Amino acid sequence: MPIDAKTNLLLPPTTGQARAKAKFSWTSDHGILRILGIVGIVFVFALPLINSGNYTIQLGTQALIYILLALGLNVVVGYAGLLDLGYVAFFAVGAYTSGILTTRLGWPMWATIPAVILMCVIAGIVIGGPTLRLRSDYLAIVTLGFGEIIRIVAQNWEPVTGGPSGIFGIPSWSFGGFTLNKIQLYYFCAVVVLLLGCFGIPRLAKGKLGRAWKAVRDDEDAAEAMGINTYTTKITAYIIGAVWAGLAGQLQASFISVVTPSSFVFLQSALVLMAVVIGGMGSVPGVILGAIIITLGPELLRDVWENRYLAFGILLLVVMLARPKGLWPSTSVLPWSRDKRDHDAKVETPAKSHDYDPQEEVPS
Amino acid sequence: MTQVILNGLFVGSFYALIALGYSMVYGIIKLLNFAHGDIFMFGAYIGMTCLVAIPGIGSLGIGALAVILLVSIVLTGTTGVLIEALAYRPLRTAPRLSVLITAVGMSFFLEYGVRQIWGPDPQPWPSNGRLSDFLSTTDATGAKQQLSVPIFDGALTYSQLVILAFAVVLMAALALYIGKTREGRAMRAIALDQRAASLMGVNVNATISRVFFIGSAMAGVAGVMHGAYYSSITFLMGFLLGLKAFTAAVIGGIGNLYGAMLGGLTLGLLESIGTTLLGGEWKDVFAFVFLILFLTVKPTGILGERVVERM
Amino acid sequence: MKNSWTRKALALGAAVSVALTLSACGGSGDSGETYKLGLIAPFSGSENMFGDYMKNAAVLAANEINEAGGVLGKQIEIVTEDDACDATQGAAAAQKLVSAGVVASVGGYCSGATLPTLPIFYEAKIPELISVANSDNLIKDNTGNVWLLDGTGTQQAATALKWVQQNGFTNLVVIDDKTDYSANLATKFVEAATAAGFTVTTDSLTPKESDFSAQVNKIKSANADFFYFTGYVQEAGLLVKQAVEAGYTGSILLGDGSVDSKVAEIAGLENCQNVYATYTKTPDMLDDGGAFAAAYKEVSGGTDPGPYSIHSYDTVKVWAAAAEAAGSVEMDKINEALKTLTYEGLTGTVHFEADGSRTGEGGFVIVSNKDDGVFKLFDALT
Repeated sequence: MPIDAKTNLLLPPTTGQARAKAKFSWTSDHGILRILGIVGIVFVFALPLINSGNYTIQLGTQALIYILLALGLNVVVGYAGLLDLGYVAFFAVGAYTSGILTTRLGWPMWATIPAVILMCVIAGIVIGGPTLRLRSDYLAIVTLGFGEIIRIVAQNWEPVTGGPSGIFGIPSWSFGGFTLNKIQLYYFCAVVVLLLGCFGIPRLAKGKLGRAWKAVRDDEDAAEAMGINTYTTKITAYIIGAVWAGLAGQLQASFISVVTPSSFVFLQSALVLMAVVIGGMGSVPGVILGAIIITLGPELLRDVWENRYLAFGILLLVVMLARPKGLWPSTSVLPWSRDKRDHDAKVETPAKSHDYDPQEEVPS
Repeated sequence: MTQVILNGLFVGSFYALIALGYSMVYGIIKLLNFAHGDIFMFGAYIGMTCLVAIPGIGSLGIGALAVILLVSIVLTGTTGVLIEALAYRPLRTAPRLSVLITAVGMSFFLEYGVRQIWGPDPQPWPSNGRLSDFLSTTDATGAKQQLSVPIFDGALTYSQLVILAFAVVLMAALALYIGKTREGRAMRAIALDQRAASLMGVNVNATISRVFFIGSAMAGVAGVMHGAYYSSITFLMGFLLGLKAFTAAVIGGIGNLYGAMLGGLTLGLLESIGTTLLGGEWKDVFAFVFLILFLTVKPTGILGERVVERM
Repeated sequence: MKNSWTRKALALGAAVSVALTLSACGGSGDSGETYKLGLIAPFSGSENMFGDYMKNAAVLAANEINEAGGVLGKQIEIVTEDDACDATQGAAAAQKLVSAGVVASVGGYCSGATLPTLPIFYEAKIPELISVANSDNLIKDNTGNVWLLDGTGTQQAATALKWVQQNGFTNLVVIDDKTDYSANLATKFVEAATAAGFTVTTDSLTPKESDFSAQVNKIKSANADFFYFTGYVQEAGLLVKQAVEAGYTGSILLGDGSVDSKVAEIAGLENCQNVYATYTKTPDMLDDGGAFAAAYKEVSGGTDPGPYSIHSYDTVKVWAAAAEAAGSVEMDKINEALKTLTYEGLTGTVHFEADGSRTGEGGFVIVSNKDDGVFKLFDALT
């Protein structure tokens, strides 16, 4: 049950099985979560029926693209614990690759997908290869540096990237003569985000690789001692994050039809990171919530106040002070429910007595 | 080429002044204080406002700079203490990234708060507080000549020398303070192990407040000097300089004060050389590529030590 | 849980198919009490100060039009949106204006942020009169509804070169800041100057930085007697100050993005004795120059008009003139009217080429700020 899986990320397998056997109730936390998930998906698909105004569709598509981007960063930061301050570089690589191939060489948008993936894997290896051995703060500055390098190269390498004016006239997706209009593109993004982001990433996180990521995040030395190749684990997370961002970049390029270097400044990386942290690191529903706040927040504040970034700054401060672990932490099933770890401890108290207890051994 | 190196060292001294505050805060509570660059900017705005608002300050000549430096030190230092107490202290046990995001929020708040008060335009520095006007002579034709000291085949103006001197003196004073005084020892103790330090009777909150006061006040000094030298300030200027200072602190080995100084000068030199060799548009690429290559060879920065970490 | 899966899939499928059968709504002719004009400009981000300069002037123009009876009997209203000079936000702002039912777009500051608005306004059948952004890319594939009120980089570069030749400068340096507008102007100048037989040294600086001593060093070691900076006010002031204080004695030419009294305030008036700029027109060159500045201050609450205020003002007036001439606010009719329209505005005679750019040399002249820091006409280059 995928929606359930979203919240089970941090639990050991036994607990998951134990819960699956328990009787399912729609009024329990997990039931409510499932209802919320279904309501969310239905809402996403029904949105154009409720309001098909250009601005609504624009914001909706933008939010979906940011959700995909934030979910990708969540793999890097939330699961593998690598602080990346230049994530938007991969977004740029994806956007530029598809933009250049479609406008210069006349490729259809779908045909550039392999190229986007390839370029992002290469970029991930080039950036991650030499730097993932660094400790986190150094990694932060190095990724920041790479983000800037990619942007400046895009800005200066005029024959290929179009220089400061970037690439314009990027076509939408077309399949055999059928070109997607704005609303169809919105649905296309929704399906991609749902498949890649909401179902793909939690699946990945639940597998062997996902557990390895979390082990490395929680204690690198211990993970290594348990036979995990920490370097390979980290670089896999990095590359997967890169590919996800690249695909988001491709959607973005086809969606706004223009790619300019000024869209890939450090502030953008900071915003995506904010989406992950505000929502709750490692928590898929949380990251989705965070991405929605990051895209819609400044847009909705447009009408409230001319100086909207001041309001945004205050909002950030208030949210982080009130909920330091994020709005929807990965340790809670629902934003308002108790910490899952406390909850589990209580439920499983009877079972505990059969477990190995080190204190019993002491007298002998 | 001498001039290129001198220019680099001069710009680097600004980076170093700001990097010191970054490094100090990081060394003690392991927080990347993103709002640090904005405190620098805030210091410059305070200085500018004083120059306009305090009656008769123009008659003090260069003494006016001393007055606004003092006001700026007090106000930016207090701002730093307040920021720590209100925004960072409640999150001391929270995940480190949460505090980082809070710092980004604080940075937004300071930038756009200043915009709300002083407006979005770049602000010219008042003419009664410009360093280059105090340290120049007027020649026979009425044109202004900057006083300067020739060094090999280059030259540094008096204004540049004043700022370099400021940077060096402040760094030396800070190093003495942290190395030799009781309060400095408390800071080093907290940096090593916060809980153990508190068990040994160190007042952790007071010490951290003191760190923020000193770091922010130094940023304030840098802000005023920046305004007085370049004579133009904007509400977004702290962001870019803050990033550069952060880079400088990492190059030098974050948490190490001498490293911050060395890192600042190194970054300044790199940028100056990069601009000359490759053109201004590749300057940052040159600096960052060097940074990355350097860190892969020496992952702790020039003077950094290996530290056990947790996220 | 299989049941719930199938049910969910069915529901989603139904939702998708219903939605896909719905076609998008077309652009809306406004049926309200007023005609809304959309103005997209940066109100946040690095270029944020230009937003107010443009907005106040546009509001002033709208007020004057409304007092004189409006357009086609209706009052007009300026609706502003912020693009922060960012392509993504520019697209969102354009969509928002379309949803708000604007009949024309009269803004556009950053070329990079204006480019994505082109297909959006075209699809919604809204004429786009771009007041400030002037990259040649904007009219490269003109769909017929895009009109540039500001002269293009090509026209401005030609004026700059003419002045260089007139004064006999030989060692030329061009510095840009790698924004779309600035790089475009610098490239066009280098192309024109190279074609005329000059060798030009080029460099770039990073906007929002303060120390340009490396660039100054380059200017000095090239023995330049002329340098052209194509960026914006803040960097222009700093560059002038640092160059002159380092002993540069040649002439300095600035692009029209730097025409503002702030340059002299930042650099110091004594350092501005050799500073000139290419510009279309300034308020003091107008017959009603003082009147415009005074009227502007009433709208703005006391601040002076900035660079491009008069462009923004003219854009609103030009649209109104075109609408009156066409007898309609529909895109096709406005386009037809603009093809033949001649309007005497504050920025000079407004008349358009077939590609949407302004006729002639774009009305560029050389201005200087050496007297009191305010840029005034220096050489009309006639």
